[in-house]
Amino acid sequence: MAEIPVKIERDGTWHVVKIIVDKDQIQIPAPFSLRIPYKQIIDLREKKNTLSITIRGNPEKTILLATVPQAMLVLKRMIALSCSAYRLAAYFMSPAIRGGVLVTDARWEKGSIAVMKTGIWFVSEAQQVCIPLTDVTGIEVTKREVQKKQVDVVKIDHMENADVVTSYVLCPLSTLQVLFDFLKDATKEMEMRGDELDAVSAQVGMLIYSGMDSRAIESMLSISYDQLDGIFEKLLNLGLIEVTHIRKEVQLTPKGVRFITEAVKPPT
Amino acid sequence: MGKILIVDDTLFMRTLLKNILFSGGHTIAGEAVDGDDAIEKYRELKPDLVTMDVVMPKMNGIEALKGIRSLDPNAKVIMCTAVGQEQMVKLAIKTGARGYIVKPFQAPKVLEEIKNVLGS
Repeated sequence: MAEIPVKIERDGTWHVVKIIVDKDQIQIPAPFSLRIPYKQIIDLREKKNTLSITIRGNPEKTILLATVPQAMLVLKRMIALSCSAYRLAAYFMSPAIRGGVLVTDARWEKGSIAVMKTGIWFVSEAQQVCIPLTDVTGIEVTKREVQKKQVDVVKIDHMENADVVTSYVLCPLSTLQVLFDFLKDATKEMEMRGDELDAVSAQVGMLIYSGMDSRAIESMLSISYDQLDGIFEKLLNLGLIEVTHIRKEVQLTPKGVRFITEAVKPPT
Repeated sequence: MGKILIVDDTLFMRTLLKNILFSGGHTIAGEAVDGDDAIEKYRELKPDLVTMDVVMPKMNGIEALKGIRSLDPNAKVIMCTAVGQEQMVKLAIKTGARGYIVKPFQAPKVLEEIKNVLGS
């Protein structure tokens, strides 16, 4: 049993309370007065420094809490390992690649995978990683060399803040297939046929991925502003990009021209 | 900041890397389009770092890495490959690559890796 100071949100106000984390339930004192058996928890999400816990019921109830990082680790681990979820023992490597750069000290960690309503959790002694299903950008079964043997693993590409991260899961082939099928199904809305983009549009997509801005894209692909605008429109309609900001294209007014002309005159 | 040699057989990737490196304040020592060219340019330009594509015509990136390392055992080379060719990683690291990037990549991470390798 552990007593953890947390902040819990209710109606837009954060309340400071000390919750009791038992081996089979969490107790939250007044003004909440709740007893939450882990088996009643059906979803767990981590958003920045808060943890969102969804409890079974009609309607479902969601609790938003925040606490210090060390206590957060304890809570995440207890809930992810004991809540109502499809759980499998597995090895995972996360992150293995970040933003296209190989993480040199990445290693396989022994732990559990908990598949929940809105995401999957990798839980080991050292870390708990949450991948929301909406952030999964790619899944495939591929081969990795593990102890000098080529073995099947599930490769999961996902967004983490603004980084594209690749993680690997290693488990017996039958469970691997179940995990792959689940993820494939849960993220099927993101699939494309593959023939919806012409070569130039695909190149534009790749340059956006790499962080190039509109000017750099126009210059690298030798395309005009209007051509790029048309491609952006196509990518927007396919749901592949979103507008982050609109840059103004401007020219000087007569007042502006006068100001600049005056400003560059040498002092008399 | 470093003087960097970009080795890739596709103009698109060379241009992309050039843009990323410029934005990070690096200078481009030169560009090479295959392994043979890379070794030649390395000898001629003596760059601080090389970004080397793995799959190229004539001589591949691993062979070029070996060639460059035989010229300069302290050469700093970052290998660059497409998704699905990660099995080349071990071979490249064994051959002396200092880092590995997988296409597609994100500019800030590539610059971070280059900074790490240049500082090592």
